[in-house]
Amino acid sequence: MDAAALVRDTIYRSTILLDRQDWNEWLAHCDNGFQYAIRAFSPEINKDVTYLALDREGLASLVKLLPKHNTDHSPLTRHTSVYTVDVDEQAHSAKAVSSVIVYQTLLDGINSHIDAGESRLFLVGKYLDAFKIENNKAKFVSREVRIENRRLDKGSHWPI
Amino acid sequence: MAAKNHGQWLAEPGLKPNEWVDSRIYSDPGIFEEELEKIFKKAWIPICHESELAKPYDFRTTTIAREPIIVCRGPDNEVRAFLNVCPHRGMIIERRPSGSFLEGQPSGNPKRMTCMFHAWQYDLRGNCVYISREKEGYQERLRKEDVGLRRLRCEVKFGGFVWVTLDDNPQVSLEDWAGPAFTCLRKTLEAEPLEVFHYHKAIVNANYKLWHDTNCEFYHDFMHYHNRVTGFNDAYFARKNEAFEHGHIVVGTFEVKYENYEGFQSRAALSFPYLPPNQWYMIDMFPGMNFNLRGSALRCDVVTPLAPDRVMIEFRGLGLKRDTAEERQTRVNHHNSIWGPFGRNLHEDLLGVQGQGTTMLPGSEPRRILHGRHENQTIHDENGMRHYYQEWGRWMNRQPNNPDLPYAEPMSVAAE
Ligand code: FES
Ligand SMILES: [Fe+2]
Repeated sequence: MDAAALVRDTIYRSTILLDRQDWNEWLAHCDNGFQYAIRAFSPEINKDVTYLALDREGLASLVKLLPKHNTDHSPLTRHTSVYTVDVDEQAHSAKAVSSVIVYQTLLDGINSHIDAGESRLFLVGKYLDAFKIENNKAKFVSREVRIENRRLDKGSHWPI
Repeated sequence: MAAKNHGQWLAEPGLKPNEWVDSRIYSDPGIFEEELEKIFKKAWIPICHESELAKPYDFRTTTIAREPIIVCRGPDNEVRAFLNVCPHRGMIIERRPSGSFLEGQPSGNPKRMTCMFHAWQYDLRGNCVYISREKEGYQERLRKEDVGLRRLRCEVKFGGFVWVTLDDNPQVSLEDWAGPAFTCLRKTLEAEPLEVFHYHKAIVNANYKLWHDTNCEFYHDFMHYHNRVTGFNDAYFARKNEAFEHGHIVVGTFEVKYENYEGFQSRAALSFPYLPPNQWYMIDMFPGMNFNLRGSALRCDVVTPLAPDRVMIEFRGLGLKRDTAEERQTRVNHHNSIWGPFGRNLHEDLLGVQGQGTTMLPGSEPRRILHGRHENQTIHDENGMRHYYQEWGRWMNRQPNNPDLPYAEPMSVAAE
């Protein structure tokens, strides 16, 4: 595969891993220096807001402690479309912009008798990813999940 | 004791009458409408922070009890509040959440608030300064001097929050109403300018008071793994839960051990002014505002009740205006790792009240909601909620444990 194809492949495989909550498998696609953030622009306060920011170690702790936390277990389904991949051959790096739409299929967040099984739009945004290309692999160096939403209701404990 | 049949389930618990409330106060549509009239149209609400309208001509919009409101900073730097309603035919004047009147609008001029509908214009003191084809339509019968925006009482106070009330004649001044509850943090919040760095909102299917109750009681720290491992020591259990006049409460501080939660670190380096390291104060204001300072980051919640079983909560995070970019990022992370929409605690809190809302829909069988813990007015005592509901009873003239009856002060007030 050429570098751009590697990048696309990694983004799509990661989407499946994240949907499966296979967090550690996903982290295996992330470089040691990986930086993760969920951000938005808030026209309410007229500023960029950071809703979550973690390095690889922080993410590893977060996913490790998930079973200790009470959480909404309604599964998330991400629909990702890679829009652009820009490869820097010389630097062995790449940047990619993807659209991501996240649906939430309700399970135990409200009243499961009534709404379990219903899928709702949860998040609308973009993945702004940076990669390192090495040994015929594309590894995430950073991911910014740039969401449009500021009304986030119950929110989530999970990386998006 | 064993599970109950219906009669046993409905029997009075062995608690005093002010130690429970009737769940109809969380679900009854008539009580909800009355709360908007008797409480939300009378109370002071911190609708935003001054840093959200930092420059002259900046504005911010909101609603209280369904009434649209605009606050703006005048050319004289004064922050003023008005009903965001045009006196002509009732159009909402400004539709955006925030912005600047220095920009012109398709219907109007810069430095004016313009109603897009028929282009009436107002200055930042709320005077009507332009009526399109005024003389042609109204001759001498109605002049721009005769109309104007509805001005609202507005004060910037307690760390730069913009407080507004729909009541032209509040019974108590803002200072007297909120000042005593803010005493513990006043020096800290007023030492230097603060700045908002976080905003998001949640709409949950639960009554607004259930959210405020969650902010008032810490017994639910059993639900938060983070709070159990970073708190739950002698100093934590000694934290005082102190009641203040007008229904407010303050939960006293202790030193949080952030490093006990894997991946978290001490927040001592970025403590707000005059605070020892890693302190945690909570001020809960009647009828539904909360100021929550975990040493390095301030959170403020404001509820907007939407229906008996529906509330919007706005969450703000604040730091010091002078923060360097690096300091700010650390503060933001301190705030969001716990209190952000993807943080460890907020999600649990919202699941909790949503779960209560699910059992207290309008028309659900009335139940008793217990507020009866006594632990020497420390952190897991439920005196904060008992105190709140006395105030609620007074404003509503209803008994919280039997809202069909007029309010009577409980016999045990003196003992609290
Ligand atoms: S409704 Fe505002 S100008 Fe007519
Ligand atoms: Fe909580």
